[in-house]
Amino acid sequence: MSQSLEKLNTVLPAEVSGWKKADPPQAYDKNNLFDYIDGGAELYISYNFQKLLAVRYQAAADEEIVVDIFDMGSSYNAFGLFSHGREREDGLEGQGSEYNAGLLTFWKDRFYVSILAYPETEAKKEIVLGLGRKLADAVPKDGELPPVIGFLPRAHLIPESIRYFHHYIWLNSHFFVASQNILLIDDETQAVLAKYETLDKPFHLLIAQYPDAGKAKEAEQSFLRNYLPDANEGISQFPDGRWTACRVEGNRLSIVFNAPSLEAAVFCLGKVGEARRPED
Amino acid sequence: MKGKKLITRREFIKRTSLAAVGGAVFLTKPEWAALNAARPAGPAQQANKSKVVLVRNKDVLNEQGRPVAEVVQEMLDAAVNALTGKPEAVSSWKTFIKPDDIVGIKTNVWTYIPTTAEVENALKKRAMDAGVKEANIGIDDRGVLRHPVFLKATALINARPMRAHHWSGVGTLIKNYIMFVPDPDNYHGDSCASLASIWEKPQVKGKTRLNVLGMLTPQFHAVGPHSFNPKYVWSYYGFLVGFDPVAVDATGLRIIQAKRQEFFGEDRPLSPPAKHIFTADTQYHLGTADPNKIELVKIGYDQDIFI
Repeated sequence: MSQSLEKLNTVLPAEVSGWKKADPPQAYDKNNLFDYIDGGAELYISYNFQKLLAVRYQAAADEEIVVDIFDMGSSYNAFGLFSHGREREDGLEGQGSEYNAGLLTFWKDRFYVSILAYPETEAKKEIVLGLGRKLADAVPKDGELPPVIGFLPRAHLIPESIRYFHHYIWLNSHFFVASQNILLIDDETQAVLAKYETLDKPFHLLIAQYPDAGKAKEAEQSFLRNYLPDANEGISQFPDGRWTACRVEGNRLSIVFNAPSLEAAVFCLGKVGEARRPED
Repeated sequence: MKGKKLITRREFIKRTSLAAVGGAVFLTKPEWAALNAARPAGPAQQANKSKVVLVRNKDVLNEQGRPVAEVVQEMLDAAVNALTGKPEAVSSWKTFIKPDDIVGIKTNVWTYIPTTAEVENALKKRAMDAGVKEANIGIDDRGVLRHPVFLKATALINARPMRAHHWSGVGTLIKNYIMFVPDPDNYHGDSCASLASIWEKPQVKGKTRLNVLGMLTPQFHAVGPHSFNPKYVWSYYGFLVGFDPVAVDATGLRIIQAKRQEFFGEDRPLSPPAKHIFTADTQYHLGTADPNKIELVKIGYDQDIFI
């Protein structure tokens, strides 16, 4: 462990611009995260959440800035959690960040950080960004991106649309596929969803890497049976005129959803894996 | 894949009617619009419609985004008058609150988007104007099962804001009564589909006199450590008010869905789906979620209204 939550806490000042840090910070693990995040803990658990440190700064009785530092166990999961919630990246902190209206989220190495000061004021925004900078600087190294992202074709990719996950519910959050887990995505699956620009509406590409080729084939068969029962060689046109196509290669299943043409769907699938390197 | 019916995006695109989709997964504005086109409302339906009032006023939020008490009162008065058909607020309230009522105002204290004291006070004031003694009015959320007024309440006023929600798709008027049961966790399964069953419990059954769904600053998408992200909160400056909680919630949901469509630029359904609104109609018969059976009255500011 190159850094710990406790050490990160020590870089947060006891007071900043009149806001006083409430000590001690609260610590949570998998067993009691539900006590802190009412209704939303499943998201973090599904990304292999390890530990959370919640630090509060208070200026008045009803005003606080909440700093949540999540140890996600690996950089893959820290990125995945960040990718789940972001709509854009502003590059302010860490390896990827987004600030909006009082909420800063960023990730670096195996840590995901959220700093919330709501309602936003200019003064609070400065504090939030300052605290974020201290924490990001205190994490000594960058973490690796999930390798499955390296399979995404680069051309026309919308970078901020990349979502990494290993639970089908989070796939449905961004692109509803089915009410059940017909793609057999689980903890052992590394999945990435991304959007691609076209002259018309963007289309989606899903790449799921399974533990072995057998599981990938099983997922493909499940998908064809439940989603594309009339597919010809894994390709089908939907009633709205758009195309869905899938292809399995080794332990990897790739699916293009809603491509504007048959050619676009086939071309995109053909490009999967050409880059074979993590996100730039 | 056994047990529950599998619903896929393909099926949704293929079928054109709500009934064919089989329930609540994709009950968004376009689907209801398709139904409306297929089944124009006749006179009989008109008579049985649930009235929902949408009142909006851009002055209701101050520069800090907090509600302005006087404007809140004006808006709620206007909504209740439209609901009852009476010319002014006190006579309107007297149609559903009696002086000997014991009134519980069920509020919602969620940190980031609460019901607000301004709304609670406006409702309390009108209950008192209708003749209810102050000692017989209680305002509470998480303590309703222990609150002396709620324990003997004869009338309930249900007031909460609408927001996207991790468990139930959206936090609604229907869901606001979850604190009336000692085991709320038991209602979280299947996207909280059974929430309306709580309205059958003796502590609430038949007592609700007014429903106020706050749409001042709704949240249309729930992510972030506390299910809250200011990015997904917008100033809508409104309230939805009605006697039928299902009709009010269903109307609020249409606004949330329309906002999501605008923000995301695509039809991104709520996850989980707001199933409980529709089971409240089809399974528990608490009210109607069908826009064909809802008379929507709009008052005030009409920009970016989404409905």
